[in-house]
Amino acid sequence: MRSEVVMPQMGESVTEGTVTAWLKEIGDVVERDEPLFEITTDKVDAEVPSPIAGVLVERLAKVGDTVEINTVVAVLDTEAKAGEVPAAAPESAAKAAASTVASTGAASGARTSGATATALAEAPTPSRGGVPSREELRRTRSTPLVRRIAQEHGIADLSQIDGSGLSGRVTKADIMAFIESGAHERAQGTNGSTGRIAQPSRPAPASPGLAPGERDHFEPMGPQRAAIAEHMIRSRATSAHAHTIHEIDFSAVFAARKRMKAEFEERGVKLTFTAFMVKAVADALRAFPVVNASLDGDQLLYRGDINVGVAVALEASLIVPVVRNVDELSLLGIARSINDLAERARTKRLKPDEVRGGTFTLSNHGIFGPEFGVPIINQPQTAIISTGAIKKRVVVDQKTDAIMVRPTAIFCMSFDHRTIDGATADKFLAHIRQTLEGWE
Amino acid sequence: MSQYDVVVIGSGPGGYVAAIHSAQSGLKTAIVEREPTERLGGTCLLRGCIPTKAMLHTADMLETLKKGDQIGVMANDVALDMAKMQAYKGRVVQKNAGGVSYLMKKNKIDVHLGHGRLAGKGKVSVEKADGKKETLSTKNVILATGSTCFHLPFIDMSPERVLDSDAILEMEEVPEHLVVIGAGAVGTEFASVFLRYGSKVTLIEMAPAVLPSEDHEVSAEAEKSFKKQGMTVLTSSRVTDVKADAAGVKMVVETKKGDKTSSQTIEASHLLVAAGRAPRTQDIGAKGTRLKINERGVVEVDEFMRTGEPGVYAIGDIVDTPWLAHVASKEGILAVDHIAGKNPRPINYRLVPMCTYCSPEVASVGLSERAAKEAGYDVKTGVFPFSAIGKAAILNKTEGFVKIVADKKYDELLGLHIIGPKATELITEGTLAMELESTIEELLMTIHPHPTLAEAVAEAAHAAMGHAIHI
Repeated sequence: MRSEVVMPQMGESVTEGTVTAWLKEIGDVVERDEPLFEITTDKVDAEVPSPIAGVLVERLAKVGDTVEINTVVAVLDTEAKAGEVPAAAPESAAKAAASTVASTGAASGARTSGATATALAEAPTPSRGGVPSREELRRTRSTPLVRRIAQEHGIADLSQIDGSGLSGRVTKADIMAFIESGAHERAQGTNGSTGRIAQPSRPAPASPGLAPGERDHFEPMGPQRAAIAEHMIRSRATSAHAHTIHEIDFSAVFAARKRMKAEFEERGVKLTFTAFMVKAVADALRAFPVVNASLDGDQLLYRGDINVGVAVALEASLIVPVVRNVDELSLLGIARSINDLAERARTKRLKPDEVRGGTFTLSNHGIFGPEFGVPIINQPQTAIISTGAIKKRVVVDQKTDAIMVRPTAIFCMSFDHRTIDGATADKFLAHIRQTLEGWE
Repeated sequence: MSQYDVVVIGSGPGGYVAAIHSAQSGLKTAIVEREPTERLGGTCLLRGCIPTKAMLHTADMLETLKKGDQIGVMANDVALDMAKMQAYKGRVVQKNAGGVSYLMKKNKIDVHLGHGRLAGKGKVSVEKADGKKETLSTKNVILATGSTCFHLPFIDMSPERVLDSDAILEMEEVPEHLVVIGAGAVGTEFASVFLRYGSKVTLIEMAPAVLPSEDHEVSAEAEKSFKKQGMTVLTSSRVTDVKADAAGVKMVVETKKGDKTSSQTIEASHLLVAAGRAPRTQDIGAKGTRLKINERGVVEVDEFMRTGEPGVYAIGDIVDTPWLAHVASKEGILAVDHIAGKNPRPINYRLVPMCTYCSPEVASVGLSERAAKEAGYDVKTGVFPFSAIGKAAILNKTEGFVKIVADKKYDELLGLHIIGPKATELITEGTLAMELESTIEELLMTIHPHPTLAEAVAEAAHAAMGHAIHI
């Protein structure tokens, strides 16, 4: 019997995924829960396991295709034998042609040219599960007058405009300000899928006017790379980035780690320096709730949960899984969580929801040896710490003037100066320093 | 001494609504009222909206019954009994004032009777009728002291013959000849009442049109109707001299026509001075505070009704926004929401419905045709008369029209102007449509029930698009 495999729902907010690799060939036998293909979304890379056992008889999406969730991407035959490929019914072939979105490059082209007035005229498509997305709400919650103005100016996507009306409704004043800022002209020039224009006053980047030579080649920016690019630019445009840099003596942590390592290993947990850092960060966040807050309009949203994102470098990109309620975990619990998340991030088994909901981020890239780095805030958080390499450095004891060799690391915190002042930022980092330097 | 979160001074539609909303927001609230009759409700309830609309209702009914024979209702010897009318009006006022007192109790709002004044930071003093003083301690104060009738300096008010809008409410007889100075809302409403009660009425207005703040077509229609009903209307006219004695009032009226000014003497039994209202801010304890009160007595406030003095808000007729009960109420809610830290949206004063309950009724929201042109819009209008509306014919009230003012570019609805039956009820459709930033298209897409007066609004939308159906 033929059975269809659909693009799975990968998380609350993920509506599409790009197929990055097929792990099975036509005619291969696939076991239930065996990885069938790999996808990448703007949040996460993941292997998609087969929901049933059978023989792969059709692949309806090519590598590089971006496919909406619940679209059929493969057909298995549960009764066929290995190598046996029954012909597809004409009906399913037609469905495949209709449901598969063209490859990434073509898709963006289509969006740019086609999605102007027509998108406005049509009723918004309800998203899966009947719950409209924020973008759909924004679009339906614009006013009739705004839709008329948008149509005239060829603005297809009202969600790129900040709505000041009730429930984020885009008002005439909002769209007029948007048009006057010239932002919509820039928006039209770029790929519609990158969505909102963060800062109307920012001049559009000059076209680099690249002339590719014979030995050059283009590669499409993957969805994750594109998402990171967009997030970073938007963050720079959103937050008033200020920085503070502290050198932290890791002697006490070294000693503690040496002491505890074996015990942790007995319990199957690798004790890394990151675990200590995350623990120290969680304690400091509890002492300084404003660093755990987010700015919403002109209101500070103080977060009840302390969820620390830990950046994990992948081959071609970076992902930030989130350790939830860190303040409620012991060092052991933190270490176990981090090991688990990092391992699954590298093997593409992370769920998209596991990279959401962070309230603060730690980027521990010291493993590559830098003195320190200056990070960009992961919106809508208000601060981020980047750690340098733990290296032996010469330090001077401030009381005795003695010159000592100590393992230290240089921490740089980028903070949103709209919400946090230098004093708070320094006290927060000092809290972390004291925790780490005084570890018992 | 109690510690309050909010003390409201004044219990009119601004003050009492603010107090209720404040209590509902979990704030400990008191209200101060100096009304000698110890009733709550302020001008609106005691000597404004409510009693005048009661009088207008009797006038409407009188007129309807008198015209009853036209539609087969033979009501012979229809007459007005002023004493019974006054009793009815009194009952309506009393019922509403009682309702406000009940709402204070229900919401656990302390009512302090006496003259409230600011008395230093976080303090309000209340001077009772017997002269005793009490001090309330509060984090916030909302000033809602309202306004009084404005008197023209050269006219001596005599309780017998020369009246303001407070005094005329208490009339026990129908005046033989009533002259009204001022053809704004108050003047035209009393003129409409007493004309139908049987008085000879002369309406005098300084501006070149009655209801001068309304759209010019509406003003012209109102004047035409007033004259048709038998009223004498003198526009571009001013009263320059008034002499009153027990027998009556004698006044000199100058009328400008082009460059020429003519003068005439009018003798009447009564004169109503309805030349406007003045804010009641002389005795609110502003001295020594950072309250800014301008030469007209108006308190300066920001978009959240905050005065210059921290923790002190001002709303209603003492601030420079339209002096209407519904505006005061909205301002009260806005001030409370701001106090409660709810991050409210400021009021859009472009969308205040203006209502005049004269006969025919007049109501408008948004820009008049002239104001829209002055604002730089490329204006188109749509007018539809009630004479072509079935329901109006049924009601035997076919005067007036609906006028839509819109912007040609986007069909943006800029203003809705109605003169005719139930105009003050019908205007809400336009107010809502404009709040939602509708275009004319949404108005005409909206299915209007048939037969209703509201059809005139949809038809005016059709007319604005150049294709009215029923004309």
